[in-house]
Amino acid sequence: MNNPDTQWGEMQAQLRAAIDGLDEDAAVALAQAALAQGVTPLEFFRNVVEPVLTAIGDAFSRLEVFLPDLMRAGVVVKAVQTKALEPAIRASGGVSSSEGRVVIGTAQGDIHDIGKNMVALMLQVNGFTVTDLGTNVSTAAFIDVARRENADIIAMSSLLTTSLPFVKDVLARLDAAGERARFMVIAGGAPVTEAWSQAAGLNGFAEDAVEAVALCRGLMAKRREAAA
Amino acid sequence: MRSNWLPEIVKRAQSGPYMKEADFDLKLTKRIKELVREYGIRYDANNLCPADDDMADRVWQAGLQLFVEMGSYCQSTERCIRFTRDEVLEILAQEPGAVTLGMGKDAVVMRHRGVEDPQRAIMHSGPTGLPSSEKYHPLILLSCAQEPLVDCLGAGSVSTYHGERILPGTPLEVLGSRRDASVAREAIRMAGRPGMHINDVAVSLTCAGKMAAFDTDAGLRPSDAILVSQMVELKTDFDQLSRVAHLYNIGAVRVDLMTPLLGGVGGAAPGTAVVSVADHLLGAVLYDADYHMFSLTHLHYVNNTDPLGLWTQSMVGQALARNTKIVCLNDIYVVSGPGAKELFYECAAGALVTTVSGFNMQGAGTTGGFFPDRTTGLEARFIAEVSRASLNLTRQDAAQLVKEILPCYQATITSPNRGKPFNEVYDVETVQPTTEWLDMYHAVKEDLRRIGLKLA
Repeated sequence: MNNPDTQWGEMQAQLRAAIDGLDEDAAVALAQAALAQGVTPLEFFRNVVEPVLTAIGDAFSRLEVFLPDLMRAGVVVKAVQTKALEPAIRASGGVSSSEGRVVIGTAQGDIHDIGKNMVALMLQVNGFTVTDLGTNVSTAAFIDVARRENADIIAMSSLLTTSLPFVKDVLARLDAAGERARFMVIAGGAPVTEAWSQAAGLNGFAEDAVEAVALCRGLMAKRREAAA
Repeated sequence: MRSNWLPEIVKRAQSGPYMKEADFDLKLTKRIKELVREYGIRYDANNLCPADDDMADRVWQAGLQLFVEMGSYCQSTERCIRFTRDEVLEILAQEPGAVTLGMGKDAVVMRHRGVEDPQRAIMHSGPTGLPSSEKYHPLILLSCAQEPLVDCLGAGSVSTYHGERILPGTPLEVLGSRRDASVAREAIRMAGRPGMHINDVAVSLTCAGKMAAFDTDAGLRPSDAILVSQMVELKTDFDQLSRVAHLYNIGAVRVDLMTPLLGGVGGAAPGTAVVSVADHLLGAVLYDADYHMFSLTHLHYVNNTDPLGLWTQSMVGQALARNTKIVCLNDIYVVSGPGAKELFYECAAGALVTTVSGFNMQGAGTTGGFFPDRTTGLEARFIAEVSRASLNLTRQDAAQLVKEILPCYQATITSPNRGKPFNEVYDVETVQPTTEWLDMYHAVKEDLRRIGLKLA
C-alpha cells in the first residue's frame, strides 16, 4: 500500500460513516476491497476496525455518543467479520481472528439486561466471539454452554445482591468438576466490588463495558502467555 | 377498568408479529432517531425547563407515533403487542385523571397535574431503589412516614431474611415480602397515619412474591399498590402482566414503573424524552395504571439530576401534562447521600423542574442506588417544601433558579459524595436528624431563599 497511514485513515472514516448510517453493505464492500488489494484480515482489523471501535468506546464512556451508536457499531462490525474477514481467513487456511470466546449472561434471579447487553456488544465489536445467554441464566447453563462453545471466559452480570450467590455457585461447580482453570470467570454489576470479586475467587471484575473489554483483553493476553 | 382488556392483551402477545429482541432494539433506536429529526426536538443546555408548548406537543406526538408503530415487546413470547392510534387515544380519553391513595383520614387524592399547575404535588417517599438493612429498615421507614408533608410511603427492599440472602423464587422471597409489608404497616401506624398509602414492597422480583405482600390485617391492602415494571425500553412479559391481573382482581392500585435510560436506546435527551412518553403509553394501555412512576436513569451515573436528565424530565412531564389526563409521579434520583450538602441541591433542582412540568413527587433515591441505608425522611421533607414553593413559579422562573443551583453540585456528579448511613445522620432512639444533618438542610434552604425561592 502507498501512504499506508493515510489509507488507514481514509478507511477508518469510511467505516465510521458506514456505522453511523447502519450501512452493513458499505462496510463489507470496504473490507472486501481492502482484502482484494492485499491487506490481510488481521491488518484490516487492527488498523481500521479496532481504532474506530476504540474511538466509539471512548466517546461512549464520556457519553458523547450513546447506546444506539454502540448498537450500530455491533451490527456493522459483525457483518464485516462474518461476511468479509472470516471467509478470507478460512480461505487462506488461517486461524480465527477472534480475540477470545466469551459466554455472557445475567445471573439467575436477575432480569436486568442493559448492562450485560452493553458489555456483550463492546466485547463483540472489539473482536471477541460472544455467546449471549440472556437473563436469569442458571449456573448449569453457564457451564454447559461454556463447555460446548469451548469458551475462554464466563462473564456474569448481577445487578441484584440476591443473584450474587449464583455467581459464586458457578465457581463452586467448576471447582467440583475440576474445570476451574479451564474457564476464566468474571462478573460485573452494581453489587460486585473488587473486594467481593477477590473474596469470591473471580478472575476479575469490571465497573463498566469499557473496563470489561480491557479486562478480557488482559486475561486473554495472560492466557496466551501461559500457553506460549 | 376496561372490560375484558387483559385477555385481549394476552391474545395479542401470542399472535403479534414475531421479532428477535435485538432486532426490536435496533428498530427502536432507528425510529427514535428519525422521529426526533422529523419533529425537530432539540436539547438546549441553557434552558433545562423550556417554556415551549409547541415542542412539548411535538414530543407528545413523536412518543405517540413511536408507541403505535413499535408497540410493546413481550419477552415471554418474543412478539410485539400492538395497538392502533385510535385504540390508544380511546383508552387515554377514559383516564379518570385522579386516584385515591390510602384510606380513612390518611387518604389523599393524587391528580393529574398540568404545566405550572397551582395544585400541590402529592409526595411519596421511602427507601425506593436503595436496599436497607434489616436493622435500620423500620427506622428509615418511620423517618419518612412521620414527615407531615409526606403523603405516601414506598416500603423499599431488604435483601436478607434473618441474615440469609433472599433469592427470587424461593420461600425466603415470600417471607421477605410479607415481612417488609408488615414493617411498612407498622411504620405508618407508629407515625400515627395508619391509613397512609404504601406504594410497593420492592424486595420481591416475581409475581408470586408481590402477591404475598397482600394481607389486609398486617400487609398491603387494596388501598396500597404494587409496581408493575417495564423492561427498558417498551418491554413487558407475562410475569408483569400477571401482576396486573392480580391487582385487578383484588381491587388494588396499579402502578406503572418505568426506568428509561438516558443515553440508552433513546440516545441523547430528545430521543430519551420521546421513548419515555411512549413508555407512559405502555403503562396506560397494557397495565391500565392508576398512576405512573417515572424513574429516569442516567446510563453512567444512575441519577436524573444532571442537565440532560432535568431537561428530559421537564419535556416528558410537559408533553404528558398538556396532552393526557394520566397521573404522573417523578422519582428524583441523586448521586449524593445523606450527610452531603449536595444531596439537597440535587433534590432542589429535580423538585423545581418537575413540579412546574406537571409531576407529582417521589424521593429521594440516593447514592445512585449503590449504598444501603442511605435514605432519610429529611430529604423527603425538603423535596416537598421545594415543590410547594415552586407552585407559584413559571417554567422560566424554574429554569433560572436551576441555572443558579446546578453549580452547587454539577461537578460532583462524576465523583459524588455518598454521605453517611442512616444511623450516622439520625438519632436512632428519637428517629430525628442529627444537628449536623439538620444544619446542612437549613443552610441549603437559606441559599435557596437568597436566590429567590420563597420557601416556608
